[in-house]
Amino acid sequence: MRLFTPYYLGANAANFSERSGVINIAIEGFIIISALGYALFTIFSGSAIVGLVMAVLISVSFSLLFSLFVIKLKINQIVAGVGFNLLMAGLAKFLIVFLFQSSSNTPRFNSLPNIFFLESIPYLGKVLSDYIILFSFALVFISNFVLFKTKFGLRLRSVGENPEAGESLGIKVRLYKLYGVIICGFLASLGGIWLASNQNSFSDGMIAGRGYIAIAAMIIGKWKPVNIFIACMMFAFFEALEISLQISGTFIPSQIVQMLPYMITLLVLIGFIGKTKPPAADGIPY
Amino acid sequence: MNIIEFSNISKKFGNLKANDNISFAVRKNSVHCIVGENGAGKSTLMKILFGSYRQDSGIMKVNGSDVSFNSPLDAIANGIGMLHQHFMLIEDFTVMENVILGSEKTLNIKIDFEESERVLKEYIKKYNLDLNLNKKISELSISEQQKVEILKLLYRNSEIIIFDEPTAVLSPIEVLEFFKIIFQFKVEGKTIILITHKLNEVREISDYVSVLRRGKLVYETEKDILDLKVLSREIVGNVEIQDENTGFDYEGEPEVIAGLNNINLSVNKISVLNNLDLKLKKGEVYGICGVEGNGQNEVINILFGLEKNFTGKLNIFTDKISLVPDDRLKKGMIKEFSVGENLIIKKKECHYISNKCLKKTAEETISKYDVRMPDINAPMESLSGGNQQKVIIAREIELGNDLLIFSHPTRGVDIAASAFIHSTILQQKKKGKSILLVSSDLDEILKLSDRLGVISKGRIVAEFDRNQYNLQNEVEKTILLESIGKLMIGITGEQKN
Ligand SMILES: Nc1ncnc2c1ncn2[C@@H]1O[C@H](COP(=O)(O)OP(=O)(O)O)[C@@H](O)[C@H]1O
Ligand SMILES: [Mg+2]
Repeated sequence: MRLFTPYYLGANAANFSERSGVINIAIEGFIIISALGYALFTIFSGSAIVGLVMAVLISVSFSLLFSLFVIKLKINQIVAGVGFNLLMAGLAKFLIVFLFQSSSNTPRFNSLPNIFFLESIPYLGKVLSDYIILFSFALVFISNFVLFKTKFGLRLRSVGENPEAGESLGIKVRLYKLYGVIICGFLASLGGIWLASNQNSFSDGMIAGRGYIAIAAMIIGKWKPVNIFIACMMFAFFEALEISLQISGTFIPSQIVQMLPYMITLLVLIGFIGKTKPPAADGIPY
Repeated sequence: MNIIEFSNISKKFGNLKANDNISFAVRKNSVHCIVGENGAGKSTLMKILFGSYRQDSGIMKVNGSDVSFNSPLDAIANGIGMLHQHFMLIEDFTVMENVILGSEKTLNIKIDFEESERVLKEYIKKYNLDLNLNKKISELSISEQQKVEILKLLYRNSEIIIFDEPTAVLSPIEVLEFFKIIFQFKVEGKTIILITHKLNEVREISDYVSVLRRGKLVYETEKDILDLKVLSREIVGNVEIQDENTGFDYEGEPEVIAGLNNINLSVNKISVLNNLDLKLKKGEVYGICGVEGNGQNEVINILFGLEKNFTGKLNIFTDKISLVPDDRLKKGMIKEFSVGENLIIKKKECHYISNKCLKKTAEETISKYDVRMPDINAPMESLSGGNQQKVIIAREIELGNDLLIFSHPTRGVDIAASAFIHSTILQQKKKGKSILLVSSDLDEILKLSDRLGVISKGRIVAEFDRNQYNLQNEVEKTILLESIGKLMIGITGEQKN
């Protein structure tokens, strides 16, 4: 169940961006850079809180930079996204080598503080005491409320569906796209921070395409927070299954076990979901 | 009193003067029509008034004081509302969401859906709009979508309402409904600016008329001295309008080229065609008139081979069929492709796209069909509606097919181009082609068809012969029109549900 957290944060991040009409595959990069940012600032300051704040700031700044490219300069969103992801992965590797003379990972560092008195609860303690996990569960309601019940959400969605119509009613289209991308940067950073904090170390390649899986979950969830929740739970379940199968050791070759989550995704996509419809103006610069 | 005054408004797009020194005034509580050909600059002027564009020079006054709008918000704040030529609706939103967007009523941080619903239901009742607030736009018909746009204006308390070609997409009965709403607005003291191509509508509804031609204001008139002949001459300038419809009769044998017999079709368990009979003959224009959505599209799809799940008998004695579809932007062309590419896309002679082949085809077409465009490499979407339509018609006719289907061939097309299209259709008839004309413009059907069928609820409920409606007597004509109108909405013969 804990594995669910980064997926759901990432998928909601992607959703806020796409609802405003910006396809943002750069969330993979945002997750990488915020995980790394958390690692570096926690190591150098000794405080996980400083690491958290800095990681959020870094990710949000990068999302501003991304907005500059795709909203202001109207660079193709997929190209910009892929560029960002390559850049972030390269930057992470470079910094690890440069700062720690290690080819793959940082030294160990602290996790975020927990709600300590909840930790002792049997079974659920680990989940209930983690702020970010709790937040990601609350996000089902928060996202749904913001997107569908508030003025902000209505306008954000209008901009992703038909920007001309929004504009004709006086809505500042690019501003709302900017909001979408910034929220995306913020939520993605929480995902990265959680991953780093949980492993107590940042290693090259540790994000392992979780950003892309989050995007897949968003699509399977048809851009709706509740459905995305179910999709992420499914991914997390199969990933957990994969891990436990690997640990317990079975006659099934491990490569096949590792494929499991992805195969299931494909099957679900083909079999149950049917046609999905993105926001009408998704990916089109304005 | 003048509620709006334009003085010396000019606006250029690149080198093109879309508005050239336009000055005129709109009187409070009047219906002011603005007419002119496609590309005359009507929409541009209205977008300036609505704050979407900014004039390069000139002054605008609203209620006596100078205004300068930076965005539609400023115009909305001044009580101006606009119904755009292309609807500004979000397909995936509900009616309610579309209407409140941008002017949401809130309760704390939540949108106050209950209060909005209450307010909107009042308007719906008052203006008889008959809308379901919770339906998505994608589930609505064109005329319902227009009602949503009207509801948007009402919700924003607009006092000055601009309608940009609102009737182009409506059937005659829907136009009457729409006019009722306009009259109600007028009774309430609102001011209406209406852009239209249809002169009989101008006669029916306008108090004042301004004519734009090539960006300039060329003529103004008013209700009491309105002369439609003068008006149409002023609209087109000194261009000759071909409007001679006689002498196009086909002299050969009128063999049957297609027959539909007892056709039934259901889509999603709803019956759309209901024992439909129809015969198309060589050298004859058959017109189908009716309220949109009564099975017209399905008839076309069956003839064209797009729809196969029907029961009944279909006999077609040719496989050479051309279709000029109703929605040219979506169906008839690839709007991002160039004019030349759109012209040769169906041609069998051009095996690979050579410049020579492109150029030859395009040049022939330009001169023969009088298409006006910058050059053959311009993207199709940059042409005006009338010229786009001519390109599509040219392509379909040049294929030399035996059965030609025209669906709303002059929708949103200006007077001169419409007249050209009409005479092109008649020439094809003379050559012995069989022509099926589907249109919601009754005048067009009466003008061109040799026989006409009224379609209602998936069935041809009555047929008329040219002799029956080519009447000189105005009274008889009015009676005929009225009875066709009634047949269209299914008042006689069948029960209305
Ligand atoms: N945004 C624009 N950019 C460039 N040219 C435009 C633009 N809008 C309109 N035009 C051109 O200005 C002229 C007037 O257009 P418009 O006002 O839409 O005419 P109308 O509404 O009378 O048919 C046309 O030639 C059109 O191609
Ligand atoms: Mg126009």
